[in-house]
Parts: sequence; structure tokens; C-alpha cells
Amino acid sequence: MNFFGILLGLATLFIIGLGFVWVIRGERYFGYLWWPYVMASGVVLIGWSLFIANPWASALLGALGASLLWGSTELKEQAIRAELGWYPFHVRKIRPPFAATITKWRAPHL
Amino acid sequence: MGLNFIGLVAAASTFFGVWFGHVCVRKIESRAKTIWIPTLLFAAAGAILAWISLVTSQLWLSTATGILGFTLLWDALEVTRQQNRVKHGHAAANPANPRHARLLGEYPAATTLNLLEREPLGRPVSPAQAAALVRQRRP
Repeated sequence: MNFFGILLGLATLFIIGLGFVWVIRGERYFGYLWWPYVMASGVVLIGWSLFIANPWASALLGALGASLLWGSTELKEQAIRAELGWYPFHVRKIRPPFAATITKWRAPHL
Repeated sequence: MGLNFIGLVAAASTFFGVWFGHVCVRKIESRAKTIWIPTLLFAAAGAILAWISLVTSQLWLSTATGILGFTLLWDALEVTRQQNRVKHGHAAANPANPRHARLLGEYPAATTLNLLEREPLGRPVSPAQAAALVRQRRP
């Protein structure tokens, strides 16, 4: 029996679950305009996983990177959910560097 | 030093698994006449993939099937959660689906509008404003 995949699947489910939490909390206090930074962090983590020899560390880093990548595409919808009152709306948000430029870009959504 | 592609396999499996759970479950739930059939299919597919991850000796296959297996098992629960979103108006109902047509009659909050189909405004929006904003965007 090879338990690597089963345990990794469970760990990934936990990472995805954490994704729900940080997308909700992150959007509340920081706003959806951070999406390019979150997306870049995800790409960096996935790239980094290529250079890690330990299979557990590499796989977990890859799953975490993918979760960040997905979360970056989810921030815009979360902002709308908060505007609709489905989640608490926080007026004062910590804006990201170059927020004025990012506002002009269309935030991704899948 | 050689590259370790296990992380990339894990990343692709996670992203595809979450995408499938997020996008495909919505579409399937919207079209399915009953939710128990997709629930059962997702659970069976998840269990089969989890079993493959246990019996294979190949690390990359164990990685992909382990992650996809567990995300599919979660998707089996997501079908019911998606139906609940439709009841509360958090996801658009499909009036062509008899099950959704019934939900539209039974639940006052249920709507055929996807209230998330717009750009954020940066301020709270009332239900009436939200519906108007989405209708404005429709061709």
C-alpha cells in the first residue's frame, strides 16, 4: 500500500479549506485588488516546488501554490459577496502597492 | 540538480480539482433533475481515485489520484451545498430545470440572476440595487 497520495489528498483538502478562510478574511481587510500579488505568490511557490528534492515538501508547496493561484481568481467574487451582505463588509481596506494601476486591470475569475 | 515534478503534479491536480469542484459542480447541479445521481457519481469516482492512489507504486500517479480523489469526495457534498445556495439566491436558479423551478416557487430568495456577475463597487449594495446592476450588464 502506498499512503503518499491518500495523506497528500487529505493535506490538500486542508489547504483548500484554509483557502476559503484566507480569501474571506483577506478580502475583508485588504480588498480584492491584491489579486496580482497573490497570483504571483502562487506561481513562485509552484516554481519553487520544482527545486525541492523531498517529495512531501515539493507536493505540499505545489498544492499551496495552486491554492493561492485559485484564491487570486476568487477575490473579486468575494468582494461582491461582501457588498451583497453575504459576508461582513469592511470599509477601510489596506490597499496594495500600485492599487491605481491594478484597478484598471480586469480581475480574473474562472 | 534535477527538477522534482511532484510539486507540479500536485499543483495541477489541486488547481484542476478546485476548478472542477467550483465550476463543473455548479453546471451539473444546475442541469441535474435530481441531486443524488451526481452526488453518488462524484463519491464513486472519488473513492475509485483514492483507491488507485493506494495501490499504485508510482509517486506521480499516487499524488494526482490522491488529490483528485479527495476533491471529488468533497464535490459529492458540494452538490447539496450548491442546491442550498440556489435556495438562498446565492447562485442562479435554472428555470428550465423542474427541480430549480420548484425551488423558485418555494424559496422567496431564490432568483434566476447570478448576483455575482458584475464588477465590485467598493460599497454595500442592497438586493434591489444588486439585481439592477446585474440586469444592466445583460445584453
